[in-house]
Amino acid sequence: MSRLEAKKPPLFISEPLTRDAVSQSLSLLSGILKSSYGPAGRLKQLHNGVGGCVCTTSQSSALVGRLSLSQPVLRVLTASVQNHVSRFSDCGLFTAILCCGFIENFRSLNVAPFTVIKISKHLLSLCMDHLKSEACGCRVSVDFSSVETLVCLVRSILTSKPACMLNKTEVDHLTSLVLRAFIFTVPCHVGTNAVLGKCVVIPVKGGRVVDSAVLPGLLIEAPEVQLGKPLAVKRTGSNMIKIALFSVSMSGDGSNPEEGTIAVHHGVSLQVSELNQLLNAGRQLVKDEVGLVVCQKVMHPSLKQYLKEQGVVAVDRAGLSLMEPLGRLTGSQPIASIHSLPPGCYGSLKDLCVESFASKHFLHLIPGDTVICSLILCNRSETAWDELKRVCETAEHVLQLTVKEPLALLGGGCTETHLASYLRHKSSSLPASTLRDLGCSQTQYRLVAEGFCRALESVARALSHDGEEVLTDVVYGHCWFVPPASPCVSRWSDLVSKCGCGVSGSTEDLSWSFLQGQSGSPGLQGCPQEPPVKAADLRVLDCFAAKCSGLQVALETANLILDLSYIIEDQN
Amino acid sequence: MAFRDVNARRHIGLQQLSALASTGRTFLGPVKSHKFIVDEITKQSTLICSAVRLLESLDLTSAVGQLLNESIQAQKKEFRTGMSTLLFLVGAWSSAVVECLQQNVPVPAIVSVMSEGLNSCCERVQCLQIPTHDVKKELCSSRVRPKASESKTGQAGRDALTNPWDLLCFQRDISATEEVIPINSCSHQGDDCNFNKLLVSPLAGFGSVASFVKAAGDKSSPARSGSAVTASSCITRKLTHSRHFSTLGKGPSASQQESFQGHLSGPPADVCGCCGLGHLAVALSHGNQSSVKLLQSIAAYQQERAEGSGNSQINIEEIVTCCVLGLPESYSCVSPGFVTLVSPEQASVIKHFADKPLRVVLMDGDLTEGYRHLGFNRPPNVRTILEHPSPQGWAGDAWLSRTLDILISFEVNLVLVKGNVCKVLMERCTASGILVVGCVARDVLRAFGAATGARAVTYLSQLSAASVGSGAWAELWKSRDGRAVDLGELLPARISAGGIALLTAVLTTALPCKAQLLEDQFWTLLYRLHHALKDGKVFPGGGAVELLCLSHIQALAEQPGRPGSDGAVRELASPWLAEYKPVVLQALASGWRRYLAVLLRNTARAGSELEAGASVDRHLQQAAACGSPSAYILEGFRRGGVLGSGSEPFPEQVTGLRVCDNVSAKTEAWRRALDLVLLVLQTDAEIITGPRGHQILNSPVSSEFMFL
Repeated sequence: MSRLEAKKPPLFISEPLTRDAVSQSLSLLSGILKSSYGPAGRLKQLHNGVGGCVCTTSQSSALVGRLSLSQPVLRVLTASVQNHVSRFSDCGLFTAILCCGFIENFRSLNVAPFTVIKISKHLLSLCMDHLKSEACGCRVSVDFSSVETLVCLVRSILTSKPACMLNKTEVDHLTSLVLRAFIFTVPCHVGTNAVLGKCVVIPVKGGRVVDSAVLPGLLIEAPEVQLGKPLAVKRTGSNMIKIALFSVSMSGDGSNPEEGTIAVHHGVSLQVSELNQLLNAGRQLVKDEVGLVVCQKVMHPSLKQYLKEQGVVAVDRAGLSLMEPLGRLTGSQPIASIHSLPPGCYGSLKDLCVESFASKHFLHLIPGDTVICSLILCNRSETAWDELKRVCETAEHVLQLTVKEPLALLGGGCTETHLASYLRHKSSSLPASTLRDLGCSQTQYRLVAEGFCRALESVARALSHDGEEVLTDVVYGHCWFVPPASPCVSRWSDLVSKCGCGVSGSTEDLSWSFLQGQSGSPGLQGCPQEPPVKAADLRVLDCFAAKCSGLQVALETANLILDLSYIIEDQN
Repeated sequence: MAFRDVNARRHIGLQQLSALASTGRTFLGPVKSHKFIVDEITKQSTLICSAVRLLESLDLTSAVGQLLNESIQAQKKEFRTGMSTLLFLVGAWSSAVVECLQQNVPVPAIVSVMSEGLNSCCERVQCLQIPTHDVKKELCSSRVRPKASESKTGQAGRDALTNPWDLLCFQRDISATEEVIPINSCSHQGDDCNFNKLLVSPLAGFGSVASFVKAAGDKSSPARSGSAVTASSCITRKLTHSRHFSTLGKGPSASQQESFQGHLSGPPADVCGCCGLGHLAVALSHGNQSSVKLLQSIAAYQQERAEGSGNSQINIEEIVTCCVLGLPESYSCVSPGFVTLVSPEQASVIKHFADKPLRVVLMDGDLTEGYRHLGFNRPPNVRTILEHPSPQGWAGDAWLSRTLDILISFEVNLVLVKGNVCKVLMERCTASGILVVGCVARDVLRAFGAATGARAVTYLSQLSAASVGSGAWAELWKSRDGRAVDLGELLPARISAGGIALLTAVLTTALPCKAQLLEDQFWTLLYRLHHALKDGKVFPGGGAVELLCLSHIQALAEQPGRPGSDGAVRELASPWLAEYKPVVLQALASGWRRYLAVLLRNTARAGSELEAGASVDRHLQQAAACGSPSAYILEGFRRGGVLGSGSEPFPEQVTGLRVCDNVSAKTEAWRRALDLVLLVLQTDAEIITGPRGHQILNSPVSSEFMFL
């Protein structure tokens, strides 16, 4: 019996941003994200409350994806942050905090959303033009012929997540590993279209961080391989090892999950005939002088036994994630059927050996010339390992983004405060024609610009978690931190020593002021200058591409949310 | 989604951590108090004596509890030792950090000073490391020197160190004029008092004086039949009212005297010279005598195999254990080959084998009809058409007879199966004179494969002449004195092969509840020795390393703050945090201080923790006064114990045997403990995802949470 129920009408919610529930949730979310930001950020324990695994993190990719939000407005926000993170890996928290800041600041303005959006887009374009211009004071060019800036970039990412539980030696070790892994992925011979390789992370949980390592080629876990015994592999005439890569299951269960029923006469065993086909394939492999067979899924023990007897090394359960790099590494085509083995599908390897890391045994596939490498990543605890893996992948991704656009932005809040003071300077001297084009008054423009700048500065302020006061200077527009409850002294230079990114020191008087923002920072600011950058001074750098995208995503998302006038909720 | 602010008033997470960790206080040091864990519902109880087993029995569904368990398990997986240290330090450091928070020390200062302080300590204590070959030599020479002159018993020269008997005799000699208390009765008394600790609720009443229900130790059990034998569970702590026995208690081995008999009557264990591992094992045993004896035999066997190639490693993969209930613990021994428990029917098959060499098959899965290799998915959409109906059960029989046919055609006598074995098949095989043993560990299969030439198969259909091994044999296991082992249901049998690289430590006990405990102790010691040899060095034990850490931290804390050049705070994000350095370093030190105090207290070298703390402070002062704390500590260790209790720094009475600790296991345990505490410290919120969030919304605790 089927039961029919009348459809419920959808629920209309008008002006969602004016609702209390929305603004409460927004400020809670913003609080969670702000408290996680930066190297001193606080961690969050994410768990399901009934004994599931505990994730301790301060990373946007782990945090934002797992929050289950009831407010559609917030879901729009987290969706765009997630999308940004999936493309750039870095600057997720920056994007989210900035977006919350934009919404909070613009919502309270008594300016029509339409005008706010127009003005803020203009401000964004000012920012982007400034960031892209040579004269920009908050960016540095990354010199790939020396290692210093790259080290700083990687180190900034590694130290930005305290849940990795790294000490200084370990940060140094991992920084060099990440850089080496990146260099492995850069092809030696670049043709017209160079493609960067891939770094595969091999988990070794429970080990010491300093035991982590990078190897060219790939590692496949092979618990059955015994250490100490030399691996006898069949080689072809040219002293290479021929490899066959199967993406199809070879377990002999005839896995066709299609519908329908197969009727079999008694006495006929499907399993036996499947096995015979597998063994036929095995014989073909032996005839083709294959030395190594890798199967993504499970291999039938009889087939494994046969191959072993024939001197062929067989590894199964390689997993889907290894298939693409395996294909690139060996030049083999994954074989999707055991019935036909086209001669061109095999790849080749230079060598094969056994490695072991913390009681785990691996087959090490050594290619002739490759852009694939393996990062064997160790960390003491599971939760710290997970965080470290995400961080290392982010660092690899950032290096790849940087090689395309060899620029980096000053970290430690300096970019944000610098941009804010640049915008304040620009908006104070806006030509009347621009205002006319935007269709707004000077006051409206000033208000929106102030909200924009305060949102930027709130990101810099989010770096302070223990009551440090945040200052900015008039000359460079950088960001400075002083101890909590410092007396309001005239000579700040006694208290501050270095700005957030480390570029400027307190040697000259830079006329600092508090970055508390309510009354508006001094209006008579000049255009922030470009400080002399010495690579050795740099403490924190951010990924240029990721931060630019974050800025754009944050503003566009905020504008989208501000523009919402109805939420229509399906109640069925 | 529910969201809880952890930092509400005082850090809830750290408080939970210190509450959970305080349960393991009595597991510190060589003299451990056992605990009974009682399930309130089923009334079943287990006897436990380690941090791992304790955590297994606790309710750890809270996030912090899970992280704690994760850390302990990771330590166990890697080292099998140091878990109690880890648990204790987690507790000590988390409460010290809570105190720091109450003094308004900023979190970044705590994090960076503590982790840098620990690093600095780990570097500092490196000077205490003793290469393992030096331990062998040093102990070898020193143990004769101080005692031979004083002890009136002749045996001291030979095995004074390994044999606490000497210590007893020696102590008696010293206190000859005092009253002689029969050891037997007194130790039994102590036994009753301490053995039975009842834990009604895992969290309530820990650490307080536990009440006991009944004496679990059966006095008439064979374990106590010898003279002057105390149960290993006897804790001398309670005997401090007698000076006589309190000095006794200073020997870490005093609690484990059961193996006297074995030692005196058994073949003289070669502990000096050729089997250098013996001393190391004793030093690492922390008083666990019975396991030492087993280890010495293992070392002797393995060294014999290695034929003096100088490779004195312990090969863990070649060792298995088998618990035999019903024999006194002194019957524990090491047998070459594989000892396992078999049914009487299987035993009669073994008797039939006599000395016949057996043909052996190894199977790395189950031996049942339905078994398929891992990853095999049964096709759901296959229907079999039966054209000629046949009698019921025919299909099942077909597999049985086919399997049996294969075994018989290859003339197989012995089948070792990694997984389960079909019961009917087992009966049929037994009837046909084929011994089938199930649940055999992978390492055992590997050893038999290497020794007999057999190759493990998953299905019997894979069997070929080449994969059947030969030259194995089986016999019923006999105890050393040939005493019959009649355990009713199961009998120990020994299966072996020529040149097999496999040893079974047969652990005998009359008390079933102690079986797991003995096994744990054995493996702990085995792994300690393994890691000591792997590291190639050991730490002096008995609190030496912790004492040096304490004095090092004091020196660091008193160092005038020189920004920039300061080792302990060079990584501070902001230089202004340096002012908190002394407070935080004191918090770090307090962890080890409490560790030492509890250690002294647990080993009965101090009457109370207060007294113990005072004693630690006195040693610290002496170490500082001496100029070079490490030299002071090493000298103390050389003289027999770092933390003596008398008024003199190192009382001439030989208080303890040389105790050594693992290097990497110990420093890793410290690091793991601190990592966990700092991880929880830096956590400010708990976010509960999934359906549980909605339940919380409607529950009384919902006021603690915020919802998104």
